[in-house]
Amino acid sequence: MTSPAGADTEVVLPPRPQPRRGVSLRDAGPPIALAVIFLLFALISPGFRTIGNVQNIMDAAAVLAVVTCGITFVLMMGSIDLSAPGVMGAAAIAVSLLVANNRNGNDWGLLGVLVAVLLAAALGCLSGLALVLLKVPSFMTTLGVSAVGLGVATLLFGGVQPNISDEMLRGWAIERFLGLAYLTWIAFGCVLIGWLIQCYSRLGRYAFAIGGAEEVLALSGVKVAPYKVAVFTLAGAFYGLAGVMVTSQLSAGLVQAGKGYDFAAITAAVVGGTLLTGGRGGILHSAVGVLLVTVLTNGLVQVGVSPYWQGGVQGLIVVAAVAAAVIPQRRRNQVTK
Amino acid sequence: MKFTSRPTAIVLGLTLAAAALAGCSEEAGGSSSGGSEAGACAPEDVTLVGQVRNESNPYEAAWLDGGDAFAEQVGLTQDRLTYDGDSTRQQEQISQLLAGDTECLVMNILPNGDSDTPPIVEGAEEAGAYLVTQWNKPADLNVADYDQWLSHITYNGVESGKQIGDALAEAIGGSGGIVALQGILDTGAAKDRFAGLEESLAANPDVELLDDQTANFSRDEALAVTKTLLTKHGDDLKGIWAANDDMALGALAALEQAGRTDVAVVGIDAVPDALTAIEDGTMTATVSSDGPWQGGIGLAIGFCVATGELAVEDIADEDRAWFAEQFLITGDNVGDFTSPEVDAADFECDNVFSRSQGAIS
Repeated sequence: MTSPAGADTEVVLPPRPQPRRGVSLRDAGPPIALAVIFLLFALISPGFRTIGNVQNIMDAAAVLAVVTCGITFVLMMGSIDLSAPGVMGAAAIAVSLLVANNRNGNDWGLLGVLVAVLLAAALGCLSGLALVLLKVPSFMTTLGVSAVGLGVATLLFGGVQPNISDEMLRGWAIERFLGLAYLTWIAFGCVLIGWLIQCYSRLGRYAFAIGGAEEVLALSGVKVAPYKVAVFTLAGAFYGLAGVMVTSQLSAGLVQAGKGYDFAAITAAVVGGTLLTGGRGGILHSAVGVLLVTVLTNGLVQVGVSPYWQGGVQGLIVVAAVAAAVIPQRRRNQVTK
Repeated sequence: MKFTSRPTAIVLGLTLAAAALAGCSEEAGGSSSGGSEAGACAPEDVTLVGQVRNESNPYEAAWLDGGDAFAEQVGLTQDRLTYDGDSTRQQEQISQLLAGDTECLVMNILPNGDSDTPPIVEGAEEAGAYLVTQWNKPADLNVADYDQWLSHITYNGVESGKQIGDALAEAIGGSGGIVALQGILDTGAAKDRFAGLEESLAANPDVELLDDQTANFSRDEALAVTKTLLTKHGDDLKGIWAANDDMALGALAALEQAGRTDVAVVGIDAVPDALTAIEDGTMTATVSSDGPWQGGIGLAIGFCVATGELAVEDIADEDRAWFAEQFLITGDNVGDFTSPEVDAADFECDNVFSRSQGAIS
């Protein structure tokens, strides 16, 4: 009965893996890349290192940050999401027709924003349902849902550009608090909420687990499907809010409000260290990635690189940054063999 | 219930496919019983088709409205086709049209890009449909080599880029710093318009081009780029030259957010929002190609040839591929353009080439 338990464990058990708290060396790549690129631009360009330009970078990153919040959860699961352009377009047109505008007599204010975000969440939910019920790969379902979103947006658009006159929504882009536009604070709020969901909710933890080892999770009796649908719904809601933010910035509802944001957000997430294979990374990683991409875009203009060169230079730096950031985990980052 | 069983998936797939097919095939077909040789169609037998990228673009929607106006003028209706800027879809729609009755078919087409024009031309030539194209064609493709490709209309981008460049120089008092927002750099439109700006700069030596950047013809990208340029150049920046109105509107939003009211903005295309901005005085100038006229004129040329009022051989070589007139819009004349209307006289058969500014060189 009196077995030498204490001694046994010391001998048999391997050292417990350290729980990942704080910043481990492995996650330090992207922030270091960000700091290096920032310092480089600051050295080269006097215009870059002004307070005004830093504010400008934060403001410019706002929309991409919110889209990336949504896409990060999907990537953590090991799925992919290309629905951002359509969902953002639908939300942008919907919100511009619901708040005070030049097309109809609606003046729903904040409620209009909420409805637009709910519409976007519904589109996201559709992606998730198609994925789990019809077993269509997420690549195709989300591409389809993007087309559906653009279709909805085009129908609502009806040939005449809706311009918003709602003071609240227009104010989000113009009014400032502590030097940053309200939209930028909204983006901060989204990153915070995303981080809380990721760390402290079952949804966030399961999203990680699904990306890491879906079979294990399923075998341990967890019903995976509802969580997948919920993640896509959440992502849709983030895209919807991003569409609303674009509408606020341009004071007009555009069908093309989300054009290019799908790949920009995936780039930002991957640059930040969120793996396309799922199970690693997270909201804060992606936020760093968003800043990296935005600093790059801004810096190349500030430095005065010719527009004919910018696309190529930007691509090279992104590839270099990803390579530098993922060296510690490069064995896991391959999506194509 | 879960939709995982194979039959369910098949049924769903078939339903979707059927719906897609039904959607596509609506526009095919047309009235038959026309004459057999070219130019012998009875007016009521002519089928009019207008095809643009999408109706969510106000300019292209106005284009199709102009086509409707012409169709109404001759007692017909126009089939409105859109292909969402997708080259493959444009070719599919065209082949479907040409597989139907093509005897008295008149097509007014906006090819998606230069390389999309040759297959459309070949198809129309083979099927005997009357074709007018606008904006895009490869430079080495000669309209006069074809019998069914009646005419190609485009606009001199150098001219419009120069017109708004001059208007901008005037608005900032002839001297000061400006920035240029270029379009998609590998398109002819972007190149020509920027060349026009350079001509204008040469004529206004005190205007300095501080920076040129691309915003890919996009309102959203122009917003971000303009914000950066505003922080970079500060008060040195007096004017913004944009290669289209969408980018000009993005620049206006950036100026509003930065609280700047001392910067003049010019664009090209005359989209409704830009006209409103010119009326309000926030924007300086734009250039109109007159979308409704474009929508009507292509159908008019085709209709005139189909009904025999105009013979292909009689169309002068310089009218086979030509630059059409464009209009500079400023605060002085914006009222004439806010509700664009087509003028029936422009579409009379002896008048269809009246807006020519010369052959494409």
